[in-house]
Amino acid sequence: MAASVNTVEGTAPANVSFERERGVYALEVHRDVAHAIIEVGEDAGRTGRILRVFSSLSSARVPVFLIKMHRSAVTLAFAGATTELATEVLRGEGLSADIRGGLTLLVVRAASMRDLHGVMTSIADALFDAGARLYETGDSHNSVQCLIEQDSAEAAERQLCARFQLSTDAVSHFSVNVEAAG
Amino acid sequence: MNILVQKFGGTSVASPDNRALAARKVVQAREANFSPVVVVSAIGRAGAPYATDTLVKVLKDIDPQVPPASREMDMMMACGEIISTVVFAHTLQTMGFKAIALSGGQAGIITDDSFGNARILEIRPEYIHSLIEEGYIPVVCGFQGITDPASASRHGSITTLGRGGSDTTASALGVALNAVGVEIYTDVDGVKTADPNLVPKACTLDVCSYEEVAEMAHQGAKVVHPRAAEIAMDHNIPLWVKSTFSDKPGTRITNEPAVGGSAGRLTGITHTGKMVYIRLEIEQPNHKPLVEREVYRMMARAGINIFLVTFSPTSLSFCVPRDRYPIARDLLDGMVVPVKNEDTTGGKTGTYYIFKFSEGLDLAYSVQRPLLAAIEEHVNIVDVPASVIESCTMISVIAAGHRRIPGMMATIFETLAAAGIAVYQTADSEMSVSCLIPESEVDRSVRLLHKRLFEN
Repeated sequence: MAASVNTVEGTAPANVSFERERGVYALEVHRDVAHAIIEVGEDAGRTGRILRVFSSLSSARVPVFLIKMHRSAVTLAFAGATTELATEVLRGEGLSADIRGGLTLLVVRAASMRDLHGVMTSIADALFDAGARLYETGDSHNSVQCLIEQDSAEAAERQLCARFQLSTDAVSHFSVNVEAAG
Repeated sequence: MNILVQKFGGTSVASPDNRALAARKVVQAREANFSPVVVVSAIGRAGAPYATDTLVKVLKDIDPQVPPASREMDMMMACGEIISTVVFAHTLQTMGFKAIALSGGQAGIITDDSFGNARILEIRPEYIHSLIEEGYIPVVCGFQGITDPASASRHGSITTLGRGGSDTTASALGVALNAVGVEIYTDVDGVKTADPNLVPKACTLDVCSYEEVAEMAHQGAKVVHPRAAEIAMDHNIPLWVKSTFSDKPGTRITNEPAVGGSAGRLTGITHTGKMVYIRLEIEQPNHKPLVEREVYRMMARAGINIFLVTFSPTSLSFCVPRDRYPIARDLLDGMVVPVKNEDTTGGKTGTYYIFKFSEGLDLAYSVQRPLLAAIEEHVNIVDVPASVIESCTMISVIAAGHRRIPGMMATIFETLAAAGIAVYQTADSEMSVSCLIPESEVDRSVRLLHKRLFEN
């Protein structure tokens, strides 16, 4: 039973017949992403320093995403264009940050991800075969996000397309800008 | 034909009084010149005599060591909706209306053969259309369909649609029948900004997008099942969430993209079920991807979903649902991953990584590790220590376009930190920001965040 399809960008998989096909249906490639490892320590001041990371970047209107907590660090990603500003802000707060630019965010989109097993295995296999080092991942009910080096992005894209049998139509390329990032 | 699909959940059909209220909604639709098509869930919730869980227990109790076959399990689970449908159709008949009870198969719902979690392939609406033309109110079993009767191997087997299946039935029927709308009736008067049991001040949203409601459902809110929202979204059919027990207008779910404009929009606060957070220390960065792959592979093979995957140069962390944790732990503890060494100086050709949970949980490790001693002169043996936080849950702020709201994570973290609530991990997507917190702090966290984000 085919019917009209609402094509809200990034939400509706192609070829909807009735219910969505379960599985991977699209790949997004977001270029020019930076990743920061910010030391916050393990002592009693850890929470306060984490808060300073968030509030200082927020005050400087640096949108961040892929935020992860580690024992003595917070890691996060932002648009490459804001690297200079982010570096300055964190330094101003007296926070030690290791910032790496030139990264690409691959977003693998899947329907009913929580009903599927092994998507992460397939992604890890594809990235390994592409020789892509994984800096960070994020996951939600309809996507897995992987931050890798820009140099290996093309090979990773090829491997992921082969693994999930995605046609070129299913791949979209973006440049992360300040507005669109988190 | 102005077809209106009306779906009533377990509570709405749980008692004669509730069914009378639900039937009143159907009558009102009829009086407003709609042709109602009713979808019902099984009567009552767990413990009630005809609830799905009760029926499943009958099978499982025969021999708890032998799991029932999935095909027979689906036949059993479908009984709850069949009983409910017949009772509701008869209720309407006693009120003087022409009503007819239909199983999923009789309603033309054709699925694949994934018993227990079937996917709707097709709906053949001709019979329902003819019944409506004859003046009947069709009352259809939610949550079920059949495999294609023409299929030689599975002909006409009863299937169930998995969690939230009755919502999915309603949405799909709405599309197939080209309905003017789908009304999901429940015991709350619409989509709320938080669980009203935790936050009495939670507001009802007048309107929200399909994406927002799907995100809320995926993040643990018991509103509309995400599959139902996705069908409505993909086919652009109007969806309403209303209360059987009030005449309030409910929440209208629209096709307007949630992410739009520049401001972003807060929709609600949700929380998921119980989770366990596992952290693995893998000390050699060059071997780490190979070891990680085996972890993913093992979890996938056991059908265990992993969430909140987090990397550092020497660790891998992730969450598993609490009910799957014993299996995950049993699989990982003592697991050996052999990796070939690139540098063989010292004569060691490989490294064997062996996973070790903390003392008391490391039975397999304590048996396996001594066995590896025999090969230790040829290979390196490296422990992968696993630490675990057992009692956690995920709380999420649903905020479409939150990446345009300055300081969302700062606000959430500050609110929780000020109350002394630990945040073990965070996650963010286009539609939400989530924090992994102690399970014991869920109620307080929901209240605090609701107050901070919605009550000022």
